[in-house]
Amino acid sequence: MTGTRELIDALVECATPVRRLRPPLVRAALWLAFAGLVIALIAVGHGVRTDLTLRLREPAFAITTAAALATGILSAIAAFVVSLPDRSRRWLMLPMPTLAVWISTIGYGCFTDWVSLGPEGVRFGDELRCLSILVLTSVPLVIALAVMLRYAAMLRAGAVATTGGLAIAAITASALPLFHNHDATAMILVWNVGAALLITGIASVFGRRIFGLLATRLLAPGAHL
Amino acid sequence: MSPAPRGRRSSLTLVASSAGAAHVGADERKTNRARDWSGLMARAQDGDRHAYRALLEDMTPYLRALAARCFKEPSDAEDAVQDVLLTVHAVRHTYDPGRPFGPWLVAIANRRIIDRLRRQIRARSREIELSSEHETFSPDAANLHFDDASADSAALQAAIATLAPDQRLAINLLKLKEMSLKEAALASGRSVSALKVATHRAIKSLRKRLRQSSETP
Repeated sequence: MTGTRELIDALVECATPVRRLRPPLVRAALWLAFAGLVIALIAVGHGVRTDLTLRLREPAFAITTAAALATGILSAIAAFVVSLPDRSRRWLMLPMPTLAVWISTIGYGCFTDWVSLGPEGVRFGDELRCLSILVLTSVPLVIALAVMLRYAAMLRAGAVATTGGLAIAAITASALPLFHNHDATAMILVWNVGAALLITGIASVFGRRIFGLLATRLLAPGAHL
Repeated sequence: MSPAPRGRRSSLTLVASSAGAAHVGADERKTNRARDWSGLMARAQDGDRHAYRALLEDMTPYLRALAARCFKEPSDAEDAVQDVLLTVHAVRHTYDPGRPFGPWLVAIANRRIIDRLRRQIRARSREIELSSEHETFSPDAANLHFDDASADSAALQAAIATLAPDQRLAINLLKLKEMSLKEAALASGRSVSALKVATHRAIKSLRKRLRQSSETP
């Protein structure tokens, strides 16, 4: 293996100026603004559900959506802060209170107000459209977050991928009810908890690999978001 | 460029600090060094290669001391130091000159050292280190002499030939053909216990004969 002195020579040789990262809160805000833009574009293209204002007056619906949105915002902040090597891992706890509220609101709804699948059951076409919104929202967010946090591949890949995955899952889950009507509790569970578990699971399993791939391809000096 | 340090924890935690008034000077030196390193890194981020070289050369002994605590082999510790230097280079844009340099560096160093330790543990669980006994060389002198092996084999064959027929059969089936007791019992038509007794007696008399033949010149 090359000696340490030779390695230092080589590193100094390729030490081009780099642009420092902006503060993590600013970067999280940029990503959240991008998420807002994606959701707005989908709203323009797909159209918001007609009874949205009516549903937002229902406390359970409003709390669930607000808690999911808050979980998404706080998870994004936690992911950007924890991606830096010298920040405390305690930041990972930041989204936990709102996550607990979100999950418990859904769980409480299951116990108190279980609405069975109606006579029409699961409408395949509607569910497919819902799935397409899920993919349309989450894919650009995954790509943007992976590119912005690619340096975390060498630092805390697992923790950052899981928290980032939770951010994307929560933002997506808070956006879905704006477009699609799910009255059956089973479907609310599937689209909230199922989507959250799926996205967070994929992020924590494949996150390290995705970060690693991006880090080797995109970690060029001077090109940092 | 670099704003003034905000007065957070600014001392390095690379080397354990000892208590006592005598160490106040050492702590102060450490703090000054951390500030120096912070300034050097800020200049390195702007492309100052002299500052970058000074920083890397200055922090290498500290990284070496940190790695030496975790690795027995100096070469492993040196590899870990190089891993840390490579990571520092790759993520140098993540350092904020307004924050202390020590925790940033130590966090990266710990990450790399733990990764290397994990890799070592994984490799050890599925690899066997070759000792000198496993080594072989092409020259004949370094290998077992074929004639010796053949002489031993001939002596053994001669000793087996002198055994009683039932003992010879038991040795032949169980030891030379490497049959199980059940297979040998089926092939010879004898009971398992009879084969066991015959083998025991055969080995005893073989040992006696081979010892006698090695003692006689």
